[in-house]
Amino acid sequence: MIIIAEKINGTLPMVKTIIQNRDQERLLDLAKQQVAAGASYIDVNVGTGIGSREDEIQAMEWAVETIQKEVETPLCIDSADPAVLESGLKSRNGRASLINSAKAEQESLEKVVPLASTYSAPLIALTMDESGIPKTVDDRLQAAEKVVSACERFDVPIENVFFDLLVMPISTDVKQGLKTLAAITEVKKQFPGCKTALGVSNVSYGLPARGRLNAAFLCMAVYAGLDAAIIDPLDHEISAAVKTAEVLVGRDRHCRKYMRAFRK
Amino acid sequence: METDEFIKAIAFNVVQGRVEAEDEGFDDGLEGQPGVTELVNEALENGVEPKEIVIEALTKSMEEVGEKFERNEYLIPDMLASAECVGVAMDILSPHLIKAGVKSKGKFVIATVAGDLHDIGKNIVAIMLKGAGYQVIDLGTDVSVDIIISAVKENEAPFIGLSALLTTTMRVMGEVVNKLEQEGLRDSVTVLIGGAPTSAAFAQEIGADAHCKDGFDAIDVLKTMAA
Repeated sequence: MIIIAEKINGTLPMVKTIIQNRDQERLLDLAKQQVAAGASYIDVNVGTGIGSREDEIQAMEWAVETIQKEVETPLCIDSADPAVLESGLKSRNGRASLINSAKAEQESLEKVVPLASTYSAPLIALTMDESGIPKTVDDRLQAAEKVVSACERFDVPIENVFFDLLVMPISTDVKQGLKTLAAITEVKKQFPGCKTALGVSNVSYGLPARGRLNAAFLCMAVYAGLDAAIIDPLDHEISAAVKTAEVLVGRDRHCRKYMRAFRK
Repeated sequence: METDEFIKAIAFNVVQGRVEAEDEGFDDGLEGQPGVTELVNEALENGVEPKEIVIEALTKSMEEVGEKFERNEYLIPDMLASAECVGVAMDILSPHLIKAGVKSKGKFVIATVAGDLHDIGKNIVAIMLKGAGYQVIDLGTDVSVDIIISAVKENEAPFIGLSALLTTTMRVMGEVVNKLEQEGLRDSVTVLIGGAPTSAAFAQEIGADAHCKDGFDAIDVLKTMAA
C-alpha cells in the first residue's frame, strides 16, 4: 500500500500556525514523524484559507524547501490551484513528487495534467467533473474517462494516474461507502494499469468511534483493490488496518510486513 | 386523538426521526407505531389546522433537535432523520397551507458558490429553513455570481445563503456581496454565509451580514434579525 501521509494540511489549526509562523522545526517534526510511521509520500497542503494566491505560492515553496532539506521521502504536492502545484513541483528540483490533484473538469485537466507530463510526476485525479460530487459508480467512471483522454493527449501514462474515487460521509447517506468501494473495482477493470487512491477518513465524518469505521472501511477498500491511502500514519488503528488487510488479501509476501509490525 | 395529542405525537416522532411506521427511531422499540407521515395525514383528516402542525409540532420539535445537536446528544444522522421528517411533513402540508392562505416567512435563495461542488451542508440548511417556514429557492452547487444575483432579483428574495467548503472558493462570497452593492440591492437583502473554512471574521471581512455555523444557527440568526 502506498501511504500518503495527510497531516501537513493548512486547514488544521496547528499546521496553520506552523505555516503562518514559518516554523521550520515543527514542520520538519511533522514530516519526520510521518516518515517514521511508514509514509510513502508526505502530503503538503499549505492552503490556510487566509491570504492571497501569492501567499500560498510562497508558503508552498517554503514548506517544500524546508522539508526536503532533511527528508528524502517523496512529497505529495497538494492544492486545488494549478499555480500553487507548479510552484511546489518547481521547488522539488527534480525530486520525486506526486501531484494532488486534478479534477475531471476541462480547466483543471488543461492546467494540471500538463504538469504531470512536464515534471514526469504521478497524478491524483478526482473522479468528479462539472456536474458535481458524484452520486453513483457511473458518475465516477465518466469522470475517469475524461481524465484518461486528457492524459492521452498530454502523454501521461495511465500507470501514473491515481484515481481518487471520493469517499463521502455515510452519516449523510448510508449507501455511499459501498459506491466508493464498487468504483475502485470498476475503474481498475475499465482502465487497466491505473491506480486508485482514497482519503479514507471522510467516510466516518459526523459519527462516533471514527477510527474503527476508518479501519474497517480501509480493509474493505484493500479487498476492492485500493493502491494508495491518504491517511494519518500516526493513527495506530488505521496503520494496523493497512498491514492486516494487505496480509489477508495476499499482498504481503510471507507475511513479512505484518510480522515485522508485530515485533515492534 | 385530540389536536393536542396529534401535535405531541408528531413532535415526538420528528425528534425520533421516524418518517413512517416501519422506521426505527432514536430510541429502541418504536417500529410499527405510526410515524410522521401517518400522523400528519391523520391529523389533517381530523381537522387539525395545518398551520398549527407547522408551528407547534414541526418548528418546536426541530428546535429541540437543535438543542440536542448542540449538546452532542444528537449526531448528524439523527439530525438528518429529523430534518427528513420535517421535509416530508411540509410536502404533505404545503398544498393545505397555500389553500389556507398562510404566508411563508420569506424567500430564501441558497447556493454553493462558483467552483465549489459541495452540497451536503447546503442541503441540510435548505431542508431546515423549509421546515422553519421559509420558501427556499435552491440554486444548487457551483453557482455563478450572476445567477445568484438574477435569482435574487427575479424572486425579490430578502435572504441569501451562500455556502463554500474550499478556501479557494470562499472568496466568491465576497464577489456576491460586491455585486449586490453595485446593483443597489445590498440594503434589501440579508446575506448569510456558511461552510467549514468560513468564520464570523470572514463574514465581516467580505461584508456579509452573518456567519452561521449550521442550519440551526441560521434559523436563530434569522429570528434575531426579525425581532
